[in-house]
Amino acid sequence: MHNGVTMSIVPFKEKAVGSRKSRQVETRMLAEYLKETYSKYTVISKVPLGKVPEELMAEVGYKRALGMSRPFRPEIDAVVALPGALILIEAKVWRIVDGLAKLPMYQSLVPFTPELRQYRHLQTIMELVVAWTNDNLEIMAKNAGVRVRVFCPPWIDEVVKAQHEYWTPEYRAKREEKLKLRKLYDLE
Amino acid sequence: MPLQNYVILEPGKPERVHFSDHHLERREISDPKTGRPTFRNVCVFDVDEVNGLKTPSQLSVISEKLFASLEPYLPGKEYLNYDFTITKVGAGFTTSFSVQVTPRK
Repeated sequence: MHNGVTMSIVPFKEKAVGSRKSRQVETRMLAEYLKETYSKYTVISKVPLGKVPEELMAEVGYKRALGMSRPFRPEIDAVVALPGALILIEAKVWRIVDGLAKLPMYQSLVPFTPELRQYRHLQTIMELVVAWTNDNLEIMAKNAGVRVRVFCPPWIDEVVKAQHEYWTPEYRAKREEKLKLRKLYDLE
Repeated sequence: MPLQNYVILEPGKPERVHFSDHHLERREISDPKTGRPTFRNVCVFDVDEVNGLKTPSQLSVISEKLFASLEPYLPGKEYLNYDFTITKVGAGFTTSFSVQVTPRK
């Protein structure tokens, strides 16, 4: 038994967890970017931001209050602690402007974030990691004080191509066929 | 009581680990909800340090979300040069993971 699940090991030949490229695209992109760009520094992914209610801390204690408030606090994709700066990172493959718009909001929460207390003395830099850019994005980013970094490993092209194909008549016909077969064989 | 040979991630509890090796497995598991047998791809890390203590154990990564954060460190076993502090957040379908990667000195 392991974690309440019975297991037996069978030979494994294919690529392991995460072999479906349509899954966890932004998480993978971000992890690869962080590894390539900031390998010498401490990086933290999925950092909650903002205040934790003081009343809650007084009632249940600091650690428990952090856990209880977590679902209600905004979360930034990653932060990188450089010697002289704290980099706030949002990584986007789709909805790029959402990522851009979030960063200045998130920056305003850093001084109130208990998890980032040790980095409060550092200057913050906002960074948007995207698979591609365009002139308008660059203009908006410049205006918002956000630097844009383009990071596009080859596998992202495949993901984007597959998404574009999703809306073509050929793909829709194929998908309908697949759904019919699933229903026929009572598959989920 | 048997010795704890597995790192078990509990929601909200950070575990700082150092990996010494890894391998990929395909496991047959019984789904705890349906009871049906199913196959899962698993990345099993050998762990030689847990929260700063030399403790040989293993961490099995089934979650694609967590694996996506660790995958870039697999080639050439680059994870040897880092400590990973992994915090499980939430439970069930909404589970996510915060991963802090710290270069070892």
